[in-house]
Amino acid sequence: MAQTKDRKPLYKRHMTRYERKKELIAYSFLAPNFIGFAVFTLLPVLFSIFLSFVKWKGGDFSTMQWVGLGNYAEIFKTAKVAEKGIGYLFAKVDLGIALKNTLFYTLVTVPMTLVCSVALALALNKAVKGAVGFRTIFFFPYVASMVAICVCWRFMMMKDGPINQFIMALGINFNKSWTADSGMAIWSIILVSVWRNMGYYMVIYLAALQGVPTDLYEAATMDGANKWQQFAHVTLPQLRPTTFFASTMLIISCFKIYDVVAIMTEGGPGRSTKMLVTYIYDEAFAHFNYGIASAIAMVLLVIVLIFTLIQFSMEDRYAND
Amino acid sequence: MTQITATPANGVRPSHPALAIVGKTLLYIVLVAIALVTLIPFVWMISASLKLDREVFSYPIRWVPEVFHWENYSLIWSKVPLLTYFKNTAFIAIVVTFIQTLTSSFAAYAFAKLRFRGRNVLFICYVATIAVPWQTYMLPQFILMRSMGLYDTLWAIVVLQSFSAFGVFLMRQFYQGIPTELCEAARIDGLSEYGIWARIMLPLSKAAIATLVIFTFVGTWNDYMGPMIYLTRDVNKTVQVGLRRFIQENSSDYHLIMAVSVCSLLPVSIVFLSLQKYFIQGIATTGLKG
Amino acid sequence: MKKTLALILAVLMLLSVASFALAEDAQTLTIVAWDAETTPYLAAQKEAFEASHPGVTIEYIDVASQDYPVKTTTMLSGGDASDVYMVKELPHLLDWQAAGFAEPLNSYIEASGYDKSGFLGMEANYAVDGEQYALPFRSDFWVLFYNKDLFDAAGVEYPTNDMTWEQYADLAKQMTSDGVYGTHYHTWLSAVVNWDVCDGVNTLIDGDYSDLAYFYELYQGLEDAGACMPYDEVKAAGLHYSAAFENGNVAMLPMGYWFVSTMIQAIKDGTCDFNWGIVSVPHKEDVAAGSSFGNLTGAMINAKSEHKDLAWEYISWLAGEQGALATASTGTRPAWVSEAVAEAMASAEGFPTDDASKAALVPTYVGIEIPASEHSSEISTVLNEEHTLIMTRENTIEEGIEAMNERVAEILG
Repeated sequence: MAQTKDRKPLYKRHMTRYERKKELIAYSFLAPNFIGFAVFTLLPVLFSIFLSFVKWKGGDFSTMQWVGLGNYAEIFKTAKVAEKGIGYLFAKVDLGIALKNTLFYTLVTVPMTLVCSVALALALNKAVKGAVGFRTIFFFPYVASMVAICVCWRFMMMKDGPINQFIMALGINFNKSWTADSGMAIWSIILVSVWRNMGYYMVIYLAALQGVPTDLYEAATMDGANKWQQFAHVTLPQLRPTTFFASTMLIISCFKIYDVVAIMTEGGPGRSTKMLVTYIYDEAFAHFNYGIASAIAMVLLVIVLIFTLIQFSMEDRYAND
Repeated sequence: MTQITATPANGVRPSHPALAIVGKTLLYIVLVAIALVTLIPFVWMISASLKLDREVFSYPIRWVPEVFHWENYSLIWSKVPLLTYFKNTAFIAIVVTFIQTLTSSFAAYAFAKLRFRGRNVLFICYVATIAVPWQTYMLPQFILMRSMGLYDTLWAIVVLQSFSAFGVFLMRQFYQGIPTELCEAARIDGLSEYGIWARIMLPLSKAAIATLVIFTFVGTWNDYMGPMIYLTRDVNKTVQVGLRRFIQENSSDYHLIMAVSVCSLLPVSIVFLSLQKYFIQGIATTGLKG
Repeated sequence: MKKTLALILAVLMLLSVASFALAEDAQTLTIVAWDAETTPYLAAQKEAFEASHPGVTIEYIDVASQDYPVKTTTMLSGGDASDVYMVKELPHLLDWQAAGFAEPLNSYIEASGYDKSGFLGMEANYAVDGEQYALPFRSDFWVLFYNKDLFDAAGVEYPTNDMTWEQYADLAKQMTSDGVYGTHYHTWLSAVVNWDVCDGVNTLIDGDYSDLAYFYELYQGLEDAGACMPYDEVKAAGLHYSAAFENGNVAMLPMGYWFVSTMIQAIKDGTCDFNWGIVSVPHKEDVAAGSSFGNLTGAMINAKSEHKDLAWEYISWLAGEQGALATASTGTRPAWVSEAVAEAMASAEGFPTDDASKAALVPTYVGIEIPASEHSSEISTVLNEEHTLIMTRENTIEEGIEAMNERVAEILG
């Protein structure tokens, strides 16, 4: 904590030789990863930012046409939206619908997954009998092939299927295939996502729990804290860097949801589960509009960046506490 | 220096034994229930892998196949060069996991514990690229790889996966949880930064490294899009790509797909199980004693 | 240090020698195709071409069929130099042509005096502004498959080559009994309503979809009568039409001609064992019997190919009569039409032997499923989205068609 606290304007004055050496050492730690990252990921990503301002169907670079903000105007249907109001964007325009669906999906899936995975990690961090078995089972969904899993769940959620039989037994009157119902289709994707991801984040939390110093618990016990208080005042604060990681990664992966949708609902019925990346995929690979696809990706990037920066500043604030 | 005694992480003794038993029983019931729900698709997968293709989607669901078609498991090895696919996938997964774990724990140390100009900007860059869907920068990346002569070689997937931002992010977060005072103390003791990384950070982050190894291995093992785009000849294909050979334009062999999926689960399960122990040690802070 | 340098040099030299050796072997044609390992007609074509062109080797690059557009477009954009690309769907060729991937063929056609008569004008679908960019070698039109054993068991007359949709619907209802569905519809838009283009006037890209109502009503009538498996069930179970038909409890199945070779194979492998036949698809009262719709499959020369003349030799052979005979021998329908080809198709091993099936091989008209245009793929996305809403009955047929009209109008501008 001490390190992040003294944020002097260190770099404004000339650096001493010692400081320069320290900086070089830092760069040497970064280099092996950064070089590969810069060449194979960062560069292509920067290029795709450029792509969002051109019209391009693939092929020679000479066939690119600079269209400025044209791709953005096209996906936001700015002319129509200006005429008919913002409601039109979310009711009729592909981008608006995809944005709405993705946001809804993310806002429900992220907290559900976090709660489930923390709960599982806490339960299995203890020396419960069979913990190894349980952990392996819960991690399994993440390991198994997507196709097999999604096909199976779609099958389970069929009309007259086991899941519907179960909820009918609970007295809820619903008997349609989930994936064939505009209202339920997105829930089928949410449930499968939570189910698939909770084991994954459970593993991350398990690893993080190993790093919680035990003396903190002892101190808390001596202060007479009960279990809940221990959890709230010892465990949770200690897990903060991990929660930052888990929530950021979850938000990003939710915003990028594609494969579950592609296999379970193909974005349907209608456009009820059309997501941002489903839309990108269509534009890039069905219509070969790489410029449009990149523009949609930039919208996605901006939203995720906003979320990340908010979290980042919160992390900094906690670190400075 | 911090003194930490070795007691289990849940070193708090429950106050009422009777309540504890009730609690424990409840916990087990919930865990078993979730485990059962989790296992359903796998049971279905295994059952489907022992059926005929047209039986797979017959309705209502038949959990136990009428006739057990064990021959599906030998068919998959003769119908496609599955062994080659497994070898390729294993090669990629092992090399990627090695490079990824090494370089990202290295880079993460710089991000978490060292100070240099542009640290936050660089870090945001890393995280931001995770947010860009691969589909949008796949084409420029492909053109780049091709010009480097990496197209249709296993190395394309190696360089594609090895330097992902994910590993750096994960390790940085774990390193941040390790008290900075430890590093300071080591510096005073005369350890170089490399020494601190090797002798303090690495041993302390075993659980994190195990996590990264598992995730990288599983992620690479199950990756589909990358190998699909970059690997073309049959000798270079991976299991996930080879799997699609059972889905053809006008027919599909879902029973065989399920059989391959079951086989493909084994190596990843072994990796996971063998790294389990790092999550159970309970006291990650061993070795901190002054 | 010196040793390593020497080693590197040696390796480099070896590599250059190796690549030189490869360049010498100019008689290998690389062809990008889907399901190359398992598609019988590709094997037959390779065999026939290599036999008639000694010294030439055909090498297929196998791409999974569902990834074909993504993977091939990426390969082409990346400058891949494979000689020939198969054109899986019509709209792709337009995109490839626009991006400069397709070699213009007019000069080759003129130079060789190529005879295009056997295509009956279908090759025009692969031309842009009068310039030919690919040649068709497969033409799949839709036919009605039926399970003879089920009809025999029910004591009902087989379907005929001249049925109206009403007669077909009655027949389907008549064939429906406990455990047997009279007919089966796959989930695609094309399986349910594409019949609209059989009249030679309507297309699916003209922006007016009011005519589709007839076919949606027909379908919903059959679904309500229990004469076909409900859409909901087929979709959620991911039921493949081949599994549905091969299961033996479906009396009829309207499907593309490609399913003929699947059926021949299935009988051969023993995965199903009943007698089957094909007839022409039903027609509307005012449309001639034997009208259908279909899709073309073609081959184009990669503009980056280094063996363009040989590639031309190949695709002109493939699309022409000789290639057509090889294709037809596997039960696949070539684009080239001639008596010899029709004979080869009818005598393909495993093809039904009755006269009606043979007569169904010659359609009177074949409309194009979705003609290629600048907006085809976008329109098809919209139609498919609205299609699912009608099929799940979340929208009434009127609402659905209104939405199609409205959204496509927006695309057409």
